[in-house]
Amino acid sequence: MSQQRSSYAVGTGLFIVLGFAALAYLATQTSSVANVHQGDSYTVQAQFTNIGQLKERAPVKIAGVRVGQVQSITLQPGHDVADVKLSIDKSYDHIPQDSVATIFTSGLLGDQYVGIQYGTAKQAVAAGGTLARTKSTEPLEEMLGKFFGAGSVVDNVGGSYSVKASFTNVGSLSAGAPVKMAGVVIGSVQSVHADPVKLNAEVVLSIDKRYDAIPDDSAAAVFTSGLIGTQYVAIQPGGSPDVLKDGDEMILTQSAMQLEDLIGKFLVNGSPGDKKDAGNGK
Amino acid sequence: MTEPVRTTLDDPALVRVRGLTTVLNGKTIFDALDMDIPRGKITAIMGPSGTGKTTLLKHITGQMRADAGSIHVNGDNVAELSREQLYKLREGIGYLFQNSALLTDFDVFENVAFPLRQHTRLPEVLIRNLVLLKLQAVGLRGAAQLMPNELSGGMARRVALARAIVFDPMLILYDEPFVGLDPVALNQVLKLIRTLNQTLGITSVLVAHELEAIKQVADHVFLIANGKVVAQGDPKTIASDGSPWTRQFFGGEADGPVPFQYPAGDYAEALGFAGAAK
Amino acid sequence: MTVREPQRNNVVSQSLAQIGACGLFLLTLLAAIPRSFRYARETIRQLWFVGAMSLTIIMVCGLFVGMVLMLQLYHVLSIFGGTSASGMVVALSVYRELGPVVTALLFAGRAGTSITAEIGLMRATDQIDAMEMMAVDPIAYVATPRFLAGLIAMPLLCCVFCAMAIFGGHLVGVTWLGIDNGTFWSNMTAQVDVHTDIVNGVLLKSLAFGAVVSLIAVFQGFTTPPTSEGVAYATTRTVVASSIAILALDFVLTAFLM
Repeated sequence: MSQQRSSYAVGTGLFIVLGFAALAYLATQTSSVANVHQGDSYTVQAQFTNIGQLKERAPVKIAGVRVGQVQSITLQPGHDVADVKLSIDKSYDHIPQDSVATIFTSGLLGDQYVGIQYGTAKQAVAAGGTLARTKSTEPLEEMLGKFFGAGSVVDNVGGSYSVKASFTNVGSLSAGAPVKMAGVVIGSVQSVHADPVKLNAEVVLSIDKRYDAIPDDSAAAVFTSGLIGTQYVAIQPGGSPDVLKDGDEMILTQSAMQLEDLIGKFLVNGSPGDKKDAGNGK
Repeated sequence: MTEPVRTTLDDPALVRVRGLTTVLNGKTIFDALDMDIPRGKITAIMGPSGTGKTTLLKHITGQMRADAGSIHVNGDNVAELSREQLYKLREGIGYLFQNSALLTDFDVFENVAFPLRQHTRLPEVLIRNLVLLKLQAVGLRGAAQLMPNELSGGMARRVALARAIVFDPMLILYDEPFVGLDPVALNQVLKLIRTLNQTLGITSVLVAHELEAIKQVADHVFLIANGKVVAQGDPKTIASDGSPWTRQFFGGEADGPVPFQYPAGDYAEALGFAGAAK
Repeated sequence: MTVREPQRNNVVSQSLAQIGACGLFLLTLLAAIPRSFRYARETIRQLWFVGAMSLTIIMVCGLFVGMVLMLQLYHVLSIFGGTSASGMVVALSVYRELGPVVTALLFAGRAGTSITAEIGLMRATDQIDAMEMMAVDPIAYVATPRFLAGLIAMPLLCCVFCAMAIFGGHLVGVTWLGIDNGTFWSNMTAQVDVHTDIVNGVLLKSLAFGAVVSLIAVFQGFTTPPTSEGVAYATTRTVVASSIAILALDFVLTAFLM
């Protein structure tokens, strides 16, 4: 019996050791212990007009390397700027006073962090001091919003009429997707199928009867709502005195664009919405 | 009830029950019950089913509290003891359960050793010797390594008995020790009860129905019915006592003071003849 | 000593009576902790039964949860080219939700039911009464060691579950679907935070779940009518009540901790 007892004890001991080994594995291999490690640090203040999605304990980076974390984010009553306290490792205590603190986003969808770009001043910012020059969060949504129409709830469509439009590429557009004009839903995609002769995609749009004054030289374009949202058809009104009628085909079409192309163009041209101001950015 | 109820070592009664009243779920189990259980004797408690014989044992061990009245065991009022004192008292009481109640996790040896391990810090050799001694007394030393589910009912009861006497208690309570035993096992248990009482001087209280067995072993019999002691004395005289209770109980008549019918409404009415009865 | 049967007039008052009785039972359990120190050996034995014996099911289930999670995430994230983040998402979802919750549900099914059935049978065969009679406090000897064992075992089991899930995710993601090994780990380590995810997620949640499941299991075992029907019913109730309690508590804890 005592032998039986000690085998329980050994087995239980092994179980406990295994459990703690798993915990150690989780803590050291799958998370960065540095995230929690706080050596000696000093605090610097910065004021931002818009902190976006910045959270407490978000990283503070210089040249992309983590040097500290956001200690607190407060908003003084009566002020319209957020006070952000940055806790920075003592070993990085020579940050020039005129350095710029900027709120960046890591990648397209990542978390936000505070980046510090060195200035040229000889004097370093002191503990408890303030970084006067700041750049607030990059308004990614706003910029992209200018590209794409803003999504909205589909109106209850009463009577409708159908028009056809041909696209060389519809992306992932599917039946039931919204049709929008000026960002407002005016109908839905009735069907999407490939034309065996013209070798392109023929899309039938079902548009609410109320919108019966759409010029027949209007353009139809396949857009994406947001960065990773669903695709929809946007109608950009033309200037013709004649209007679209049931069964008409829209001549001017713009096919779905790859997200990479869009961003590439935006980055190259610099100014958003030069010719693709389909949705009126809200 | 106001008479002094203390029992001391030279008191002939080891357990003294006075004015015991218990109500369970609206049913009166005991109604001012008085009883003296003599020291060093074998006492049998008999009575129709449902008269609370097991409940009485639980009162004696303090597992249940009475609504009124007192029970003194060896001079201590059970109801007034603290948890520690009660546990101290229980170490001096062996209790044999109807279904043996062996701990299914342990083998026979560890079951008997269990009280020793819990309450003493004896060296392993001494525990082993004590346990084997008790197992030898019940004739099961060879079964020490068996698990409880490998034992027959009679063997399990003997193991439970060995466990109950491992501390050499002053009092053993047997709850239905003869139920479900074949004649051989029954005689073995009877012999054990007698031997334990004679050799160790242990006061024994038996709750049982088996008239013949009780006649063989008991020194004193209490017959309980309707929450009171209706007859007592040594088994031979009580059997020949002419009261209706003893006649029904010892004669085994179906009807008598203990009704055959469970209390019910009018029979004719229940069968739907209410109109006819009027 | 007699426990009054709660009035069976409606489900709400019955449930409230159960919760109240369970709360009182918890106090009894906690009060018995100092007395159960002398039964430390029994706690270790129970830790073996509820913890070490549950290890196999926990490890196998953890592995499969990690594998299937990775498979699903890979296909969703590949829609917008985010497959490199899938290891990180597996880690976060396992640490914060799936690990503690699934471990607790499995624990309730594996260990909770056996605790309830064991205690119920011990009552049915008078073993609990026999302990009382041998001057061994059944709360300190039977209930508290099982409760403590559940409390200790759950966080450990949850850690093992999470580690196996990460392993399963790595197996599917890196070995089969071809996510880059370095990306897999670096994305994970960049996003997993020791405080919010491992301490608050894995450890705190599983500790709370372990307390709730073992409390319910022991309580049901001790309060069930000591009949075979009562034991069967109590075992079912342990699973049902534990599952509801786990998910409800999960919501509350998530709301407070995250």
